[in-house]
Amino acid sequence: MVHEFEGRTEKDAIDAAVKELRLERDGFDVEIIESEAGGIFRKGRVKIRVHTNEPGVPKEKTHEESGTRVASYKAPSGGIEQEPAEPLSVDDEAKLIEFTKRVIEGMGYSSEVAVLFREDRKLGLRIDSEHASIIIGKKGKNLDALQLLVNVYAGRLGREDIRVILDSENYRIRREEALVRLAYDTAEQVRRTRQSVLLEPMNPFERRIVHTTLNDIVDITTKSEGEGLYKQVRVHFRGRL
Amino acid sequence: MERDLVEYIAKSLVDDPQAVTINVIEQERATILELRVAQEDVGKVIGKHGRIAKAIRTILSASSTASGKRVSLEILD
Repeated sequence: MVHEFEGRTEKDAIDAAVKELRLERDGFDVEIIESEAGGIFRKGRVKIRVHTNEPGVPKEKTHEESGTRVASYKAPSGGIEQEPAEPLSVDDEAKLIEFTKRVIEGMGYSSEVAVLFREDRKLGLRIDSEHASIIIGKKGKNLDALQLLVNVYAGRLGREDIRVILDSENYRIRREEALVRLAYDTAEQVRRTRQSVLLEPMNPFERRIVHTTLNDIVDITTKSEGEGLYKQVRVHFRGRL
Repeated sequence: MERDLVEYIAKSLVDDPQAVTINVIEQERATILELRVAQEDVGKVIGKHGRIAKAIRTILSASSTASGKRVSLEILD
């Protein structure tokens, strides 16, 4: 369960949470979502989000994706240690931005494209446009197509090792949060009904979010079904082992 | 215009941009774009399992068409 509390200081907010939820101080996780330091005439204000352990739902999974923006793009480290890639040159970065902008322009929409984040082997680009909704498309279809082309183009620049991620209006983060919620809701339903549920077709990135979200839940298993890029995830009840 | 869009994308993805040509066929209700690239570049605009071609078509269908006509893309080899 997630609860939100406010206080003048971080400690105040936590104290309020302890009192309200009748919890041990170390029985929950706290995430500070807003913090304003007090001034001479101004009261400080701290807003926190408290994660409590709900039966069946591991607490550390409940909302971790809503934390920092950039971190949420990170794939779980799979144990394979890679040498850091050579950073993208300023020139290549400019070319990728230019390509993205020109394709959108060619579609008939004006936009601004800027770097959202730079990580090892990853470049995030943010598209700002008044036509963002059509650039994103239904279920991100257009944004995915554009992203695929930008990645092919990155390969043309000799950087197959770099993955470019396009975002607009925080679509990727919002979609990721929605998928985590969907995964939990589906697991709950499967546990209740003991009937497996087949989710809508998703791309590999989206499926992975569902798989990893439910990976830690012992009585639930997930499996992809179907062929091609857009497979479907089926959520099964496994029972206690 | 869709023609320019396809031309820009295709030229950005191939080895031989000079060989990229687009033939526009205007029909009553649809516009057909015939894309031709150098023999060695065909795979670069189609992609594995047609992924690149599919992405270009998706982008095309999301374009704001002044004429309101359907635009289809055919890749010729």
